[in-house]
Amino acid sequence: MTFTLVALFIVVVAFTAIAIGAFGWAAKTGQFHGLEAGARSIFDTDEPIGRPTDHFPERGRKSKASV
Amino acid sequence: MTSPSSSSSPKGPKAALADALDRAAIDASCRLPVLLFFGSAIAWLLVGSVFALLAAIKLTTPEFLADHAWLTFGRVRPAHLNAVAYGWSSTAAIGVAIWLMARLCRVPLRHARILVAAAVLWNLGVAIGVTAILAGASNAIEWLEFPTYAAFILFVSYAFIAVWAVLMFRERRPGHVYVSQWYIFGAFFWFPWLYSVVNSMLVFWPVQGSVQAIINWWFGHNVLGLWFTPIALASTYYMIPKILGKPIHSYYLSILGFWSLALFYSWNGGHHLLGGPIPAWLQSASIVASVMMLIPVITTAINFHMTMRGSFALLRTSPALRFTVFGAMCYTVVSAQGSSMALRSLNKLTHFTHYTIGHAHLGMYAFFTMTMFGAMYYITPRLVRWEWPSAFLIKAHFWLASTGILLMVVSLTLGGLIQGIELENPKVPFLTIVAHTIPWLHARSWSGALLTTGHLAFALSFVLILLRTGKQREGPTLFTKERSFP
Amino acid sequence: MNRGLTLFVGILATFTLAWAGLVLIPYLQFGRVTDYVSEETGQTLPPPMSGLAQRGHEVYAAEGCVYCHSQQVRGESQGSDLARGWGVRRTVARDYIGERPHFLGTMRTGPDLSNIGRRQSSVEWHHKHLYRPQSVSPGSVMPPFRFLYSLRKIVGEPSADALKLDGLDAPPPGWEVVPTPDAKALVAYLLSLDRSYPLPEAPTE
Repeated sequence: MTFTLVALFIVVVAFTAIAIGAFGWAAKTGQFHGLEAGARSIFDTDEPIGRPTDHFPERGRKSKASV
Repeated sequence: MTSPSSSSSPKGPKAALADALDRAAIDASCRLPVLLFFGSAIAWLLVGSVFALLAAIKLTTPEFLADHAWLTFGRVRPAHLNAVAYGWSSTAAIGVAIWLMARLCRVPLRHARILVAAAVLWNLGVAIGVTAILAGASNAIEWLEFPTYAAFILFVSYAFIAVWAVLMFRERRPGHVYVSQWYIFGAFFWFPWLYSVVNSMLVFWPVQGSVQAIINWWFGHNVLGLWFTPIALASTYYMIPKILGKPIHSYYLSILGFWSLALFYSWNGGHHLLGGPIPAWLQSASIVASVMMLIPVITTAINFHMTMRGSFALLRTSPALRFTVFGAMCYTVVSAQGSSMALRSLNKLTHFTHYTIGHAHLGMYAFFTMTMFGAMYYITPRLVRWEWPSAFLIKAHFWLASTGILLMVVSLTLGGLIQGIELENPKVPFLTIVAHTIPWLHARSWSGALLTTGHLAFALSFVLILLRTGKQREGPTLFTKERSFP
Repeated sequence: MNRGLTLFVGILATFTLAWAGLVLIPYLQFGRVTDYVSEETGQTLPPPMSGLAQRGHEVYAAEGCVYCHSQQVRGESQGSDLARGWGVRRTVARDYIGERPHFLGTMRTGPDLSNIGRRQSSVEWHHKHLYRPQSVSPGSVMPPFRFLYSLRKIVGEPSADALKLDGLDAPPPGWEVVPTPDAKALVAYLLSLDRSYPLPEAPTE
């Protein structure tokens, strides 16, 4: 019983420490700055905003261009 | 739609070409492990569908295949749950998460061998676990039926994946860490925690009496909220903006949604035991947390809706978007329903009835599974460098899956409500209630047939694309060179 | 950023607290509840399970009975369990201290079994019911558990524990249906399910 409780306690402390560490890292490396840039970070230079990147197979490039 | 041409790219055509080639290299590096996870996930989806159909038919026709111990309802039902939860859902989620990680770290996937080993072990663990359930070696703890030896294999495989994720993250190209990565890391961090703590407290050194039930449902609920949900949301937060070519409406809301999910979801488990032999304070805490879940859900719903606004027409042209948006909408519905079901007045009726089963399928199928289908429709062509051969099969899959799940949820919800209202009235004999649920259970069996047919269409599509059948078509982003410079 | 720091550390700590709250505290609160010796009768409550019933508990797990049958009686304010006669009092944590795994259940496709040994105390009824539920409970959707019984040719005297089956279920002349040890254990477990004894925290009056 005592063993279980000690083990549980250690796990709680460890996970809290990891969580705080992760937050500290995030704040230090500016993950919370420039949120708008963050939203754009998934787009590459060849994928300009405003162009869809998926379609049903039978629709060819021509119909894409008109979207 | 304003469509800035490639000149909007600040670094010019050369940089754009380099980006496209980088992306193609990243996709190529993911091919083996991700296709291994996808392929085995789809195989488990078919196995799980067969178990589901068997179980559904047995509930209306008890004599159906009743003389084989391995096929009795009480074994087939947990075999279904585990085959779809660990075989299909987790495997698909891991495949999608691997690809998203590589794309978002912006480096080709490395240490693929770790992932291949993990995929083999994972499938071995699920196969052993499902066989053990059928053989009667189940733990009989819902969501944790796998005996220790199977659970242990899953855990080892899981450790491989987590180690890979950390290695991959360390080797990423510097830059912003997108919100999808937050969700994936959350999931990769929470799941082993949950799975190991719960297995040790319930299976290895079981605690006493009804404390087991509390831990059981703490897991049963969190495995949905802190493992499946974050990966599906990670996929949605990537797919919707990427397919539309539009950044997410409010990045701030997406991060707020992440943290509020982490905060409230983990307190929900107790609402599975309202009125049961557990402390009253715990029941109340779970009810409050369940209602608070409206915060992350509403922020997420607003965010997706605002991003989609003006682009709904694209649902006609993009299969990945159609499945993903269907999933995202059902996330809102299922979460609102879940919050309402935690209220004592409604819980009194819905607890112990088929209503709950309808809710579970609305979450795990209409939300999670549809989102995974969407992601797979987007990712697979980029891995095999081949477009989906048949639009007909994709459309058939979508309509069978969406009408099938709608029929299932509606019939179980109505049947469950009738069952709950009649259970509340002690004057209605139990067998009368059973008789009144049977028509709804028949409808559920039919919905299962629709879903299974849809799964067959999807599996066929997947085999055809792996074989690269049909005409060679130019994929939307595979051969971006030409498409970027019209 | 400082305000943000406070906020996020708070959120993360709360997340960890959720685990402490939903797992650790309930465990401390009644993870070590012990049985109770009645002052009036000197009886240990809940009564310890016999070895055979213990084995039946394993059969109950293997055959997945828990997916259709709950074993918990909710109080008056939370459902009609008591009015339906599924128990004489609500069940409490102490009722389950001997159970590993727990069978509280989440579905009532079939009726609650918390007190089935009291509600239906006939061994013969249980065997008939397990062999073909519809024979004693018409309209039931419970699957038959014929695989827990064996059909044997009668050699010499018929077995004492052979089932008295009639109509559809009757074996061919010269044959008999006898329960396997698993079936006997399962019935012993079902008969042991009687949570009608009074406890200090759950009196029966």
